Amino acid sequence: MAFSRPRSSFQPCETFFVEDDYHRARADRQAQQEHDKLVARERQYAIADQLSRLTSEELRDDVLKHMLEMDSQTLPDVESIDIQTEIQWFMRPYLLDFLIEAHTAFQLMPSTLFLAINLLDRYCSKRVVYKRHYQLVGCAALLIAAKYNDKKDRVPTVKELKSMCCSLYDDDMFIQMEWHVLQTLGWTIGHPTVDSFLQVAVLDEVYEPRKIALFHRDFVSKPSSELARAALALARCILNRPQPRHTDWAAQYDSMTLVGLSQQLHQPSSVVARKYASAHYSRVSKVLEHFLNRQASLASYARCTPPVETPVESKPYNGEIGLATPQKSQQLTAIAHGYMTPPVTPENGGFVPAQVGNQDLNQVVPAVNVCSPSPAPEAEMQYMSTEAYQQQEALYIAQQQQMQQFPPRPQMVIDPTYAGAM
Amino acid sequence: MERLRDPAVHSSLVSPKNFLFSSNPNPVSSRVRSSLPRTMDKSQQPSSFQQLEKLGEGTYATVFKGRNRQTGEMVALKEIHLDSEEGTPSTAIREISLMKELKHESIVSLYDVIHTENKLMLVFEFMDRDLKRYMDTRGDRGQLDPATIKSFMHQLMKGIEFCHENRVLHRDLKPQNLLINKKGQLKLGDFGLARAFGIPVNTFSNEVVTLWYRAPDVLLGSRTYNTSIDIWSAGCIMAEMYTGRPLFPGTTNEDQLLKIFRLMGTPSERSWPGISQLPEYKPTFHVYATQDLGLILPQIDPLGLDLLNRMLQLRPEMRISAADALQHPWFHDLPQVQAQLQQQQQQQQMAGAYGGIVPPQSAY
Repeated sequence: MAFSRPRSSFQPCETFFVEDDYHRARADRQAQQEHDKLVARERQYAIADQLSRLTSEELRDDVLKHMLEMDSQTLPDVESIDIQTEIQWFMRPYLLDFLIEAHTAFQLMPSTLFLAINLLDRYCSKRVVYKRHYQLVGCAALLIAAKYNDKKDRVPTVKELKSMCCSLYDDDMFIQMEWHVLQTLGWTIGHPTVDSFLQVAVLDEVYEPRKIALFHRDFVSKPSSELARAALALARCILNRPQPRHTDWAAQYDSMTLVGLSQQLHQPSSVVARKYASAHYSRVSKVLEHFLNRQASLASYARCTPPVETPVESKPYNGEIGLATPQKSQQLTAIAHGYMTPPVTPENGGFVPAQVGNQDLNQVVPAVNVCSPSPAPEAEMQYMSTEAYQQQEALYIAQQQQMQQFPPRPQMVIDPTYAGAM
Repeated sequence: MERLRDPAVHSSLVSPKNFLFSSNPNPVSSRVRSSLPRTMDKSQQPSSFQQLEKLGEGTYATVFKGRNRQTGEMVALKEIHLDSEEGTPSTAIREISLMKELKHESIVSLYDVIHTENKLMLVFEFMDRDLKRYMDTRGDRGQLDPATIKSFMHQLMKGIEFCHENRVLHRDLKPQNLLINKKGQLKLGDFGLARAFGIPVNTFSNEVVTLWYRAPDVLLGSRTYNTSIDIWSAGCIMAEMYTGRPLFPGTTNEDQLLKIFRLMGTPSERSWPGISQLPEYKPTFHVYATQDLGLILPQIDPLGLDLLNRMLQLRPEMRISAADALQHPWFHDLPQVQAQLQQQQQQQQMAGAYGGIVPPQSAY
């Protein structure tokens, strides 16, 4: 032992190199293993792809037929929601924001969110909901959707939901509301969500115009539910039969000539409709990107939507900004998973263009009393206070009487205090 | 998420006071509010069914025989205990919503859902017994006659085809979940593990299907299985009807695989490209040669054997689909077989009327 010490100090280089070689070899081996694992995974995916392609080729038409049927059976009825006495359309975005956050926090499957929103709207089409229960219904819908769609260990517990609602409701109430929602909807949960239609559409690509029509058709059914959140009148306009037909038609044109399509699409929908739809669409596109991050999907998506999206092209982040309340942008780093949120920087610079974009539209449609921004919230206030709420309510009534034009969500991103903070 | 707990959020979501309309609780809304002491429709009272003997016990439910007090009709009552913590179990949500979508003569009908204080009761069409019991009581040491097997297989494949067309995977096909009634009808039951799939089919848990009927790709850890897993189960069931014994009665995941390989041959990268990438694949699997299924199933005819071989393909993509299976020549003489069966049944009924042979009914 006495010898070994001077030796080792005598030949530091050798041991160093030996160790280095050893480490390098190990690192190499690890890298190789990692690489192999990756390759294996890729091959797995390839096999899976091939498998599901086989199945889908066989079953696609039948499954589609069934999905369309289920879709028509599980559409919320906007007009019934209109006559809700307490809850109003402008409250919906708040709730959806909450649901989106919760959905992200629990890391649920994408379609769970759509399903939850569908359940919520269908419940609201059938039952009068108290304002103070609206969030509870939303939670119950999310709970059911998660139980239906997600793995057991992902399903949020009642406790978690309760704490998300700041213990506003008892454990009991969640369970009772869950049951009540199930009962009200007659236990028919299998709403084919937008993303499932999109998957079909993406798989088919452009070969059959009918499928593209589907792509659109359901694209519209999503906006239908979501547009409702943006605009009452527009929701009516778009949810009603005409829209799918237009898009259906449009879709046929799509495969032949894009130009013809855009003209067709421009004619039926009013400029206002386009504005909301497009803002909406661009947002949907962002959300969709997350779970359809396949080039094909993007390509076909881009192919399909340009006519609708044209007005927004100048402000690609518009919808995103609508979505990203200040609270979210601050959480961007915190929530790495979940749906795609815009990069922070564009948002900073992005809302000025967004505003410009709005003004552009104002100019295009001077008649529309566009979105007078809601009363500016206090600097530290993330959501509106009750007064602001009430003010907006007043505004809402006025505007509704005026032209059934819905005030957009309070655009807190545009809040100058917030801008200053950035 | 911290911000969500901010009271400000609540004031926006749930306002403390009504500001638009002074509250006029209309009857519907009061129902929502008063959901604590729930009022149920008369037709849904659990007492409208007389609960008779217990028919079976599942993992999350107990099944009773029941009688509709008004109509006297027999039903099966599936009682699900509700977790007071987490509400309705996901299995129940899936089972009920999927069964409401699946109305087919080869799928057990769900009549009603009754909710009481601490349990959920599903009212199903009454079926006399499951295939397992049927085989035990009817068959010769569990073996069924070829005509019955053909008729049952046809109905089974019909039911599976309908599920798959309606984008539902059953995921738990086994004799205990196939129900038989006195008319000789076979129907799929217990959709507790079923789920809707999308196109393309996404990944799922591989903890599905009772081990004995679990497909080799699932056993090898594939999470990308699809409709073919139900076909494998159907193949196992078909063989079981011939022999009266389960085809692959494995004890563990690995044992199950070995039992399969012993008969079907151990797959290799050559016979199944990509197999070595599956998580549970081990290059050390004992290599078995492929056996002739006909050797262990002497009763089966060549056409039936061909169909069985197509269903029991190790590679999921090689497995026949339900729709194609129904077109298989083995089913071509089905009308004659059914006529024959009907005749048999009539004879039995005659015998019952004269000789007083009471067919066992208690089993479900």
